[in-house]
Amino acid sequence: MPAAGHRHPRRVKSAEREQVTTSQLVFDPFSEEYFDDPWEIYRRMREEAPVYYNSEQDFYALSRHTDVAAAFKDYETFSSAYGLDLAMVKAGEKAPFKMIILMDPPEHRQMRSLVNKVFTPRAIANLKSMVVETIDQCFRAADPARFDVVQEFTAFFPVEVITRMLGVPEDRRQQVRQWVDTSLHREPGQVEMSPEGMQAIAEAMGLYFELIQKRRAQPEDDMFTRLVQAEIEREDGQKEKLDDVEIAGFATLLGGAGAETVTKLIGTAAVTFARFPDQWQKLLDDRSLIPAAVEELLRYEGPVQYNVRRSMKEVTLHGVTIPAGKPVFLLGGSANRDPEAFDDADTFDIDRDRTQAQNLGFGYGVHSCLGAALARMESTIALERLLDFMPRYEVLWDECRRVAMQNVAGWSHVPVRVLK
Amino acid sequence: MSQKVEVDFGLCESNGVCMGIIPEVFDLDDEDYLHVLQDDVTPDNEQQIKEAVRQCPRQAIAIRDE
Repeated sequence: MPAAGHRHPRRVKSAEREQVTTSQLVFDPFSEEYFDDPWEIYRRMREEAPVYYNSEQDFYALSRHTDVAAAFKDYETFSSAYGLDLAMVKAGEKAPFKMIILMDPPEHRQMRSLVNKVFTPRAIANLKSMVVETIDQCFRAADPARFDVVQEFTAFFPVEVITRMLGVPEDRRQQVRQWVDTSLHREPGQVEMSPEGMQAIAEAMGLYFELIQKRRAQPEDDMFTRLVQAEIEREDGQKEKLDDVEIAGFATLLGGAGAETVTKLIGTAAVTFARFPDQWQKLLDDRSLIPAAVEELLRYEGPVQYNVRRSMKEVTLHGVTIPAGKPVFLLGGSANRDPEAFDDADTFDIDRDRTQAQNLGFGYGVHSCLGAALARMESTIALERLLDFMPRYEVLWDECRRVAMQNVAGWSHVPVRVLK
Repeated sequence: MSQKVEVDFGLCESNGVCMGIIPEVFDLDDEDYLHVLQDDVTPDNEQQIKEAVRQCPRQAIAIRDE
């Protein structure tokens, strides 16, 4: 990819900024400062420490667009096989769970190809009426005087959609979301998963094992059945069916990814459009702009702010050497705000020139979001319904709450009042 | 020396971004399989093909020197 930089003014040299940024630069992904306002931390990292090192936790972080995009593509140097969060990668052992998010090629390619046809834009388009129906349920009893966009809407429908695709019975679907929430939640300073988180994962696995047994006995038209029937070529060239742990791993991953991401994206949308009401007005005037708005939301404040990889060999970048075997944060959320890549990067502009640089909101390369087409469709329909329901609205700011989670960022409570 | 479009079909997941950029070159059939309709890189299509290479979320498209 050509460096996006040379069309833009050069980056302000860190020396010129030194007088205004004398405080110590700390990126702690589990701190309240980071949850509340990552943007200033990102800006300083891009300018002052493009290869940031956190000596307390012994990890590195890349924040510039060109570096993050290049690292996403270079899976040989930046491996996914040792974990997706700091605690796992620090442990330094291959991930104990079988999930595509925790695999490198060639194994990754084989496993992902078992499910990717379910998620193509065309296959997803066939699910539109189901998604519309699921979303419409949320507005039947909606109160315009007070409506929590997350609690009453975006927390509910994405998990319904993905668990329905998987084949989870209706009465168990919302339970999946609670398990995922519990496993990702972090108190400030907490790196490891809590005992409650472990318990939630165990309960989810229990449900999935039960469903796998049912589908083996009686196939249905769902993803569990597809995975039960799928065959994969093992290292020795033998074709084999997936085992229960592999299938449950898929379900855990897809359920988690499907439940947490659009939930955050559309919650953030309600907040962002309240801060940029001219952009909401543009959508009210011309709904054909909704897909572009979804892309801009992903760039401006996507639900996945970073991915953690493990350096497989020594890498030197911007004069800093990352030794082999270290956790490396790839800060897509920072890259998407890099002024070297995007003009007026901190401005939310749904009309912006989207060819300027790769939007890293869905990641990039072999691990780029499998569910991108589903996320786009869900988000488009969700924005349509919000435009119908609350053409003019105000956010009850005092009652908004951010989530404190690893890997995903956004709001847990965004109450709004619809204005006449 | 000529240049050709090359698709890694093991990586391609039929996202159709390339088809959106230059449908004269990339086409998804009814089964969601990608076809390269025209694999010569020419002065006329070069910029759009490069854009498709860059925007492919899977990094599945390349330009190869013959």
